[in-house]
Amino acid sequence: MLIFFSQEKTNLADQYSDLFEICHFSDFSGWEKNKIAPSVFIIAGDRQYISSVLGKIRRDDDVFASLCFAIDPVAPFDNLLLDGQLPQPSVLLEAVSQVEDLQKSLKSSETYITHQGRLIKYLWLRPDFILQPHHEWQYPRFYRYPLLEALSQNGSDSFEWLRNLANNKIIEALTMLDRQRECTYCRSAHLSFIDVCPNCLSIDIKLQASLHCFACGCVDVQDRFMDGGTLVCPKCHTHLRHIGSDYDRPIENYRCQSCSQTFIEGDVQVRCAMCEKEMKPGDLILNEVHSWRLSDKGRTIAFRGEVFDLSSGFDQLDFVSRELFIHDLDWMMVTSQRYPNVHFSLFGIYFANLPDLVELFSHARLLQMLESFAQRLRSLLRTPDLSTRTAESMLWLLLPNTDEQGLTGFHRRIENSMKVLLEESEHKLDFRFISISSQNITGKENAELLLARLSGELL
Amino acid sequence: MDSLHQAWSFFLLATSRYQDVQYVFMLIPFVLFFELPLYFLNWMSVFRYLFRKSAEAPVSLPYYPKVTCAITCYAEGKAVQGTVISLLEQVYPGHIEVIAMVDGVQKNIATYQALKELTPVAANYTKRSLIIIPKIQRGGRVSSLNAGLNRAQGEIFFALDGDTSFDNQMVNSAVSHFRNPGIVAVTGPMRVRNARNTLVTRLQSLEYMLSMQVGKLGFAKLNVINNVPGAFGIFRKSFIQKIGGWNTGTAEDLDLTLRIKQYHRRYPHLQIEFEPGAVSHTDVPESFQDFLKQRLRWDGDLWYIYSNKHKYGISAATMGWSNFIFLLWYGILFQIVMPFSIVIYTIYMAIKLPIYTFLLNMMLVYMFYLSLITLQYIFYLALISDRKWQDCEAMLILPVYPLFQFISRVWSTFAILNQILNKGHLDSAMAPLWVLKKGKQ
Repeated sequence: MLIFFSQEKTNLADQYSDLFEICHFSDFSGWEKNKIAPSVFIIAGDRQYISSVLGKIRRDDDVFASLCFAIDPVAPFDNLLLDGQLPQPSVLLEAVSQVEDLQKSLKSSETYITHQGRLIKYLWLRPDFILQPHHEWQYPRFYRYPLLEALSQNGSDSFEWLRNLANNKIIEALTMLDRQRECTYCRSAHLSFIDVCPNCLSIDIKLQASLHCFACGCVDVQDRFMDGGTLVCPKCHTHLRHIGSDYDRPIENYRCQSCSQTFIEGDVQVRCAMCEKEMKPGDLILNEVHSWRLSDKGRTIAFRGEVFDLSSGFDQLDFVSRELFIHDLDWMMVTSQRYPNVHFSLFGIYFANLPDLVELFSHARLLQMLESFAQRLRSLLRTPDLSTRTAESMLWLLLPNTDEQGLTGFHRRIENSMKVLLEESEHKLDFRFISISSQNITGKENAELLLARLSGELL
Repeated sequence: MDSLHQAWSFFLLATSRYQDVQYVFMLIPFVLFFELPLYFLNWMSVFRYLFRKSAEAPVSLPYYPKVTCAITCYAEGKAVQGTVISLLEQVYPGHIEVIAMVDGVQKNIATYQALKELTPVAANYTKRSLIIIPKIQRGGRVSSLNAGLNRAQGEIFFALDGDTSFDNQMVNSAVSHFRNPGIVAVTGPMRVRNARNTLVTRLQSLEYMLSMQVGKLGFAKLNVINNVPGAFGIFRKSFIQKIGGWNTGTAEDLDLTLRIKQYHRRYPHLQIEFEPGAVSHTDVPESFQDFLKQRLRWDGDLWYIYSNKHKYGISAATMGWSNFIFLLWYGILFQIVMPFSIVIYTIYMAIKLPIYTFLLNMMLVYMFYLSLITLQYIFYLALISDRKWQDCEAMLILPVYPLFQFISRVWSTFAILNQILNKGHLDSAMAPLWVLKKGKQ
């Protein structure tokens, strides 16, 4: 079914009606009454009309991912929501059938209710689609992603959303288009940079040419040296004839008009044009603007129908961030070297084949298994123990006050608890341990190197 | 005056006692007819200039056209920055366009880089601009100058060397002459920048003071200046373009000066000026060997220009009588004939006379020249020098200077012979051989 929107009563060429059943509407609400399932939308009309219909289609819960073509030229912003200008009937037919094929292989689930799921579906149906930003100078952040704005139901920040998607490896960056600095307070990129006096922060500074007389060391503004077309030192009255041998230019070149300070380079102040707050250039937030596409993991999710993360099964373990973990590990290493009676141990666990197990068990089942393992592991840990995750299925435990003997005990206990998991997984689970106690750590390594070495051994 | 007087009485005493000393009288015609009148005329002209200058009220009407300073660069490296900066630093209200031509840029990448570093510096100066012309094919000085002339936008064209820097008054004082439409070229004193480095540079420094600062001033005021030096020549661009720019071959500066002079009969108002206030500072060869090498080319080139390139150009019909006589006198007799006669005469005396008489003769000649130089030096220091304290240092080398003069005269003979027999002008560092060969042989 080809749904045709146009303001005026115009007819599509006959070739299209030969291939498709055509249904004409003059506005979106007309279609919404019956919600006839479309194969493709065609829109004709002025820019405003196309923009409004297109926006409604992309925001609709059911047909947001449908193919949409326009007959008339559209605004650049809307172009990014469109599949292009209406192609020849044969090409259109091919496109429609390709989307239908992909639609079939898409795992039907409730996932696509969430805006993340909608994006995955949209990208899945268009295998070569590249998510492009639109540059708009009036827009506070200059760049916006029309598609993300249409697909997100709560109008959330596109860049924040992209960051989450990229962190979860659902999308991957293709090319970097821009790197811009944004206001610390409101994230606007409309900034102005002003040189100010480093002493009193006044903006009333002036570039002034100065001279330095070699004979008496007098440094003053060049105008004070001018004497009837020649340069004469105002202090010692030496005739200054040759730069480098009689005089030179001192480096201080700016002068503040309000506090008379002379300086080489002013401080730079940034003023945000949107929120009018002032900040330093170093405080600005760096925002990288990319074009994106669906990653392998995103595609896997699309045809398996899961959007959640396997490793979320470990969430029970109260992970600290990797940076903090490394920092604490460093501190422990330094402490134990200084005080021989301070011991600690580091313990690493790696699950090598979690993605393969998804094939064997249902996703939910596997997640349940991992959750119960995490619960058991958690009961083994004491309050001061720290845990972190450096990769999706690589866990690290930092056990303070645990010497080699204590570590052996811990090893035994964790093996016992792993046995249960192993039985549950019908002995298909491939897991590896690695551990080291502080007595075996040399002083040459730091935490970063130690972790890198051990994870190398685990893999 | 005293030393001159002493020398004279000693001379009389010696001639009465020793018959052989009469040979010394053979020297007198050279000195009397060639050299002394030249110095005398020159100094008279200088005195006349100094007197007029002190009598006239200084007038400076505003005249600040856009000027172009073209710097020919080769292997100067970082030193070229000093040249460019001294031009950017000029106290001149008009626009100064600096064009730096780097010849054979692939070989002289250091010079090119040094100039590139100055691009942002030049942007900080108002009414100054810097253009760098990298010349990939090496074509020599002449090709660089003509390339610069093509690109120049200023009315006045400064042809400058990459190892020469300038006082900040240079442009202003040189340009003021061009308000007179008859002035087509201006030059100014060249001082030795590295005078303190070695004895050879100190000697050359004194030589520059007397020949470049005194000699050129006097001759220019008589309108017979011998040469507008290649390292520091200032020209009216329209005129230079009209006469076709610089010509291939070595000594392009002397060639151009002669070509300008050859317009004298047809356009008597055209003049070459000397501006004592337009001071430039240049580096001279530091070792004796390099000095000789430089003079081998300079003195050889004189012969090349006079006997070859301008064989038919030296005539009173084109350049006027005053220039013609001056050229015969200074250019031919003084610069070419006299070195030969000195060498021949010295050899003749050495063979003919007993050794003690010969040495006594040489002593007399030495004393004569020492007195002459001392006198000139005192005049210079008192009346002309613009850096009196600095120039006082040359006093120490006055006793060595006659010896230095003698050696350079002898060497000059060798250089001219080398040119006549060896075509020495084809062995120049100023341009590649294939370019030099294109010049008149």
